[in-house]
Amino acid sequence: MSAYLQLDRLTKRYADQRAADAVSLEIDKGEMIVLLGPSGCGKTTTLRMIAGFVEATEGDIRLEGTSITQLPPHRREMGMVFQNYALFPHLTVAGNVAFGLEMRSMARAERSARVAEMLALVKLDRFADRLPRQLSGGQQQRVAIARALAIHPKVLLLDEPLSNLDAELRQDVAREIRLMQQASRLTTIMVTHDQQEAMAMADRLVVMRDGRVQQVGRQEDLYERPANAFVARFIGNSNLLTGTLDAGRRFCAEGRAAIDLAGLYAASGPATLAIRPERIVLSAATDGALAVGTVLLSSYMGAMVEHVVQLDAATQIIARAPSSGVAATTRFAAGARVGLTWPASCENLFDAADAPVPQMQKQLTSPDERITSHA
Amino acid sequence: MAKPRSTTAAASIFLGPATCVVLIMLVSPLALLARYSLDKFDPSELMIEAVTSANYARFFTEAFYYQVMRTTIGVAALVTFLCLLLGLPLAYRLARTTSRWKSAWMLLVILPLFIGSTIRTVGWMILFAKSGMMDTLAATFFRSHVDLMYTPAAVVIGTLSVNLPFMVITLQSVFEGIDTRLEEAAQGLGATPGRAFWRVIWPLSLPGIGIAAILSFILGMNAYATPVLLGGPRFQMMAPLLFWEFNTNSNWPFSAALAFILMATTLLLTTLANSIIPLRYRA
Repeated sequence: MSAYLQLDRLTKRYADQRAADAVSLEIDKGEMIVLLGPSGCGKTTTLRMIAGFVEATEGDIRLEGTSITQLPPHRREMGMVFQNYALFPHLTVAGNVAFGLEMRSMARAERSARVAEMLALVKLDRFADRLPRQLSGGQQQRVAIARALAIHPKVLLLDEPLSNLDAELRQDVAREIRLMQQASRLTTIMVTHDQQEAMAMADRLVVMRDGRVQQVGRQEDLYERPANAFVARFIGNSNLLTGTLDAGRRFCAEGRAAIDLAGLYAASGPATLAIRPERIVLSAATDGALAVGTVLLSSYMGAMVEHVVQLDAATQIIARAPSSGVAATTRFAAGARVGLTWPASCENLFDAADAPVPQMQKQLTSPDERITSHA
Repeated sequence: MAKPRSTTAAASIFLGPATCVVLIMLVSPLALLARYSLDKFDPSELMIEAVTSANYARFFTEAFYYQVMRTTIGVAALVTFLCLLLGLPLAYRLARTTSRWKSAWMLLVILPLFIGSTIRTVGWMILFAKSGMMDTLAATFFRSHVDLMYTPAAVVIGTLSVNLPFMVITLQSVFEGIDTRLEEAAQGLGATPGRAFWRVIWPLSLPGIGIAAILSFILGMNAYATPVLLGGPRFQMMAPLLFWEFNTNSNWPFSAALAFILMATTLLLTTLANSIIPLRYRA
């Protein structure tokens, strides 16, 4: 069985600039895929190529095994929700939702039944006769979704669907869209630049940068095993230290701070070390710690305590620990010497070519044991 | 309290000059003209002060004037229709092109406006006249004769060439104001490009198209140089007739009445045309 929707080295070139560069992706039926990246990374271009609004320079799009690359948009049966919703301002809410059905010459009775069904789904039944400009932003967005779903599309395409909504509305709508998508098992591709939104909604994420796919995977894969320093920085927060990997077990930061690595590595040379702030454990005991530093700043943030630790003149590390009640929460004083430790599984190293440096299995002193001894 | 008053004062300072210009240069001549149109005319004494509707009555009782008005409306309407027919696709294409030559195309459309309409009409005369360019070419290649000079067709073509650039630039900005995403949305929902235009772009641009058509119609109704030069003495339209009454016959009262009738007719027809556009589509 090949994938439901397949992108095969999809490329879009404008003059000599590659907006999308050999994007390959296999999407299963019913899956929710989120294309994620900073602006200009090619995520929207890719979505628009799937919808047919942008002609691919190279590559192929296959839906259920059949190439649709040459099909015009009106024959692709994709349901697109635009960032600005693109509702027809001269048609009522019902008219907007019915538009795609009219294009399919659906009989009047069936059509109005489907429109009523869709408006009920997005809870807008009472607004059928309103014009789009008489609705709030959130309501307009629901009309756009109802309009796209009414044609029973083969794939639902969402272009930054939450970006025009109020911050407080955004999470609710994200959840609603996700629940609706799961209930209907509708294959969905969403584009966003907001990683939290992406994490909350996706089955799998596709991180893009400069037109190229950086990594495809589940939230856990991207967060715990980023494919390169860019993904480590873009998904969640990471402490990224540049320096040199020495004899597979020591890392010398640019500012000369020496760090004992939790894992053991086969390679050596220039490298980037990535560690999540919440995976770092601080302790007053500096013996046997992986790194030693001075607390610069200690902030109580409510859910967690954040420490900024200076390792050397040029290297600062952020560590976060969950706060667990007044008594149990440790807040180090500024200027305190602290030892830093972290498990080997939370340590990611990238070589000069930005590829992950693999860890060697089994070491004499397990880093996880060290953690427990210091805790 | 003070603030609104000072803004009002500031606004009136800025609006003052324009208001003065409009009052002195538009309203007062019109009022004067209205007064003239009620005067009597005598071939030897010219304008005699009076209050009479004779001038208006003359227009409505003599078949000749009615005929001229019909010709004028016919030419203006036909030119407007042709303008829409030719201008719509051109303007739409210009609005939607992403070509780097877009501004060059725009300039080409506007370029004819750089030449006065009289000069351009003289150009048409060289084309249309007996043993003019078209005639000579037809004689050389088809052994036939083309004599468009002093025909209604010549007037329509000439007026069309004057109005078309106005039409295209007006329509182009109308189309440019419509979000391309709407067409994409329509196509994504299964509409062919033609249907997307007809169901989405057309209704949304209708108010703008109406304005462009009215512009062309008014220009056509008041055309002067083209009908005089290309229509010849026997092809009568309102503006030349009015001028003839004013200049040759020195009949100011009657030409004033003609001016008002022409203005009223144009106003009436454009209002009528505007009311055809469905309410919900209006801007």
